[in-house]
Amino acid sequence: MDDMRAVENAVSTAEIKIAARGVQVFYGDTHAIKDVDVDIPDRTVTAFIGPSGCGKSTFLRCLNRMNDTIPICRVGGKITLDGEDIYDKRVDPVQLRAKVGMVFQKPNPFPKSIYDNVAYGPKIHGLNRNKAELDEIVETSLRKAALWGEVKDRLSEPGTGLSGGQQQRLCIARAIATSPEVLLMDEPCSALDPIATAQVEELIDELRSQFSVVIVTHSMQQAARVSQRTAFFHLGNLVEYGETSHIFTNPSDPRTESYITGRIG
Amino acid sequence: MTDAAVATPPRHGSLLSADDRTRRRNAAERRFRLYGLIAVGIAIAALIVLLSSILVNGSSAFRQTFLHLDIHLDEKVLDKSGTRDVAVMSKVTTIGYGKLIDAALKTTIEDEGIAVAGLTAKDVTDMISKEAAAQVRTRVLADPDLVGQTVSFKVLANGRIDGYLKGRVTQESAVRDSNVSPRQLHLADALREKGLLSRDFNWGFITAADASELRPEAAGLGVAILGSAYMMIIVLVLSLPIGVAASIYLEEFAPQNRWTDLIEVNISNLAAVPSIVYGILGLAIFINFAGLPQSAPIVGGLVLTLMTLPRIIIPTRAALKSVPPSIREAALGVGASKMQSTLHHVLPLAMPGILTGTIIGLAQALGETAPLLLIGMVAFVRDYPGAPPEGFFDPAAALPVQVYNWTQRSDPAFVERASGAIIVLLIFLLIMNAVAIVLRRKFERRW
Repeated sequence: MDDMRAVENAVSTAEIKIAARGVQVFYGDTHAIKDVDVDIPDRTVTAFIGPSGCGKSTFLRCLNRMNDTIPICRVGGKITLDGEDIYDKRVDPVQLRAKVGMVFQKPNPFPKSIYDNVAYGPKIHGLNRNKAELDEIVETSLRKAALWGEVKDRLSEPGTGLSGGQQQRLCIARAIATSPEVLLMDEPCSALDPIATAQVEELIDELRSQFSVVIVTHSMQQAARVSQRTAFFHLGNLVEYGETSHIFTNPSDPRTESYITGRIG
Repeated sequence: MTDAAVATPPRHGSLLSADDRTRRRNAAERRFRLYGLIAVGIAIAALIVLLSSILVNGSSAFRQTFLHLDIHLDEKVLDKSGTRDVAVMSKVTTIGYGKLIDAALKTTIEDEGIAVAGLTAKDVTDMISKEAAAQVRTRVLADPDLVGQTVSFKVLANGRIDGYLKGRVTQESAVRDSNVSPRQLHLADALREKGLLSRDFNWGFITAADASELRPEAAGLGVAILGSAYMMIIVLVLSLPIGVAASIYLEEFAPQNRWTDLIEVNISNLAAVPSIVYGILGLAIFINFAGLPQSAPIVGGLVLTLMTLPRIIIPTRAALKSVPPSIREAALGVGASKMQSTLHHVLPLAMPGILTGTIIGLAQALGETAPLLLIGMVAFVRDYPGAPPEGFFDPAAALPVQVYNWTQRSDPAFVERASGAIIVLLIFLLIMNAVAIVLRRKFERRW
């Protein structure tokens, strides 16, 4: 219980990294996200939970403008990163995505070597001055992703030859190699077995010391295990958002309670 | 509960014997497989018949009958001035050389003691191809110092004599043939016994230019091969970058709206347009409007480029489409721009498909005849086109048109040459397909 309080204190003192105000998302005529307000603190794991189709992934993809790639998708409202509107006309989404990295549901390493997978981001952003620096970035990223020990002797082998859990950790290493400030994770463990899931969760907890992590998950246990704050989405609405311990033990909205206890969703 | 289950008799019969329904189903499946096998069998049989008929008819085109003669290159005839100046010597036409060859043949026949009873001097002369004088002249003009010496030459025999050695002309057919007499064939037999008449590999078939109706023995594919090669260079250089750029734009960047739909439909339609329509288009635009020369590889190449473009764009778009979207997302997710994601990840993954599509498009263009007929590539061209890029504007022939041309000619000696030209065309196509396979392997291995 003392631990929990310490965590809560940490949360309350952390500054706000991403602030969303009145966010609306439309897919053609479908109103997918309805008027969502969220403050995501820095150096915290924030979990988005909710039944399938509730808009949690859609909202996550608004945070690094991945929805831009879908032609019929329109985003309204305001989302700021460190106080800057990310949907401002002057913002280049490419620069934004270097700051807000993303890990996807299905492990999607490039069909290249393990080294090239991790080195790609730093290379295109010009983060290294020479090969030695690049080697260092690759090693650090793989170490942070808890993959270095398993792959250090076969960096030139294709990333697609790794196991599912290793591939997902490779994708995490790739995402953190560009030194982002926020890491978005869209159901990162849904394609993994329990052991790989545990490894990734442990990793997420370690990443919290450096990044603001936002994770979408179907598993309430996972949200409870890894996150400090939880947002519950239902039918495009943000129903409840608060301390994870609070949401899971004493939800204020009846819909949250029904979902958590398994009556809807 | 368990009692009831035991008491109920099994609803179906024994598993060890098939029931009626299963038997019918299995029979239907066996029939279905048989139909497939028959279809494959028919296809293979057709291919074998086709290839064997071409090989049987065409392989003889690669061997040609030559007469071995020691020709005295008389200075008095070839270089009266004695200066060995090529400009002066070139005033002597093939008639002058023809006389020397006649003399050489006559001497050889006398030296070997072969009887020529009943043969006129013209009959003996006709044993040699009319092209032989030109052959000797070309060699002498290339090396004027040969004048005055006695040099051994391998000159082309007449097409009928060549046909006799290949079995196309027989004593019986010669009786009815005004171009050759049985006595000439006897002389050919005698010359062959002395080793003066023999069949060798016919380099001229691959390197020489086309020849007239009267001298099939001299007709070659040199100009046609060069013309086809020039056109393929033009098609590759123009259609690959344009096609790939168009595909990338349409597939990765273009917004999905009515205009892109319209373009898509039109590209599919263009791929289905009969090739002769492209010929008419080329005639109207490139020759009549733009004023480009007729029979030139540049026009042929441009027409074939237009024809090949949709055939490259369609497989390229399919190859791009088959790259999983997760790769694009991954690239965008680490902050790559759209162009970086396309060039670094999508394009390399689509490369095997693009190359296959391109080479199949090129192979189709190589075998295309109809549009070339309309832009004048059907002309009789004796001169080799120059080196590129000027050579692109010189008149040339093309391999498939050469096949078409030769099949139009009446002399039966052109039958083997047309089939031989098809063999050459097929070899080129096989090489291109082999290149496609090698490139695909190479690109796939990188992943």
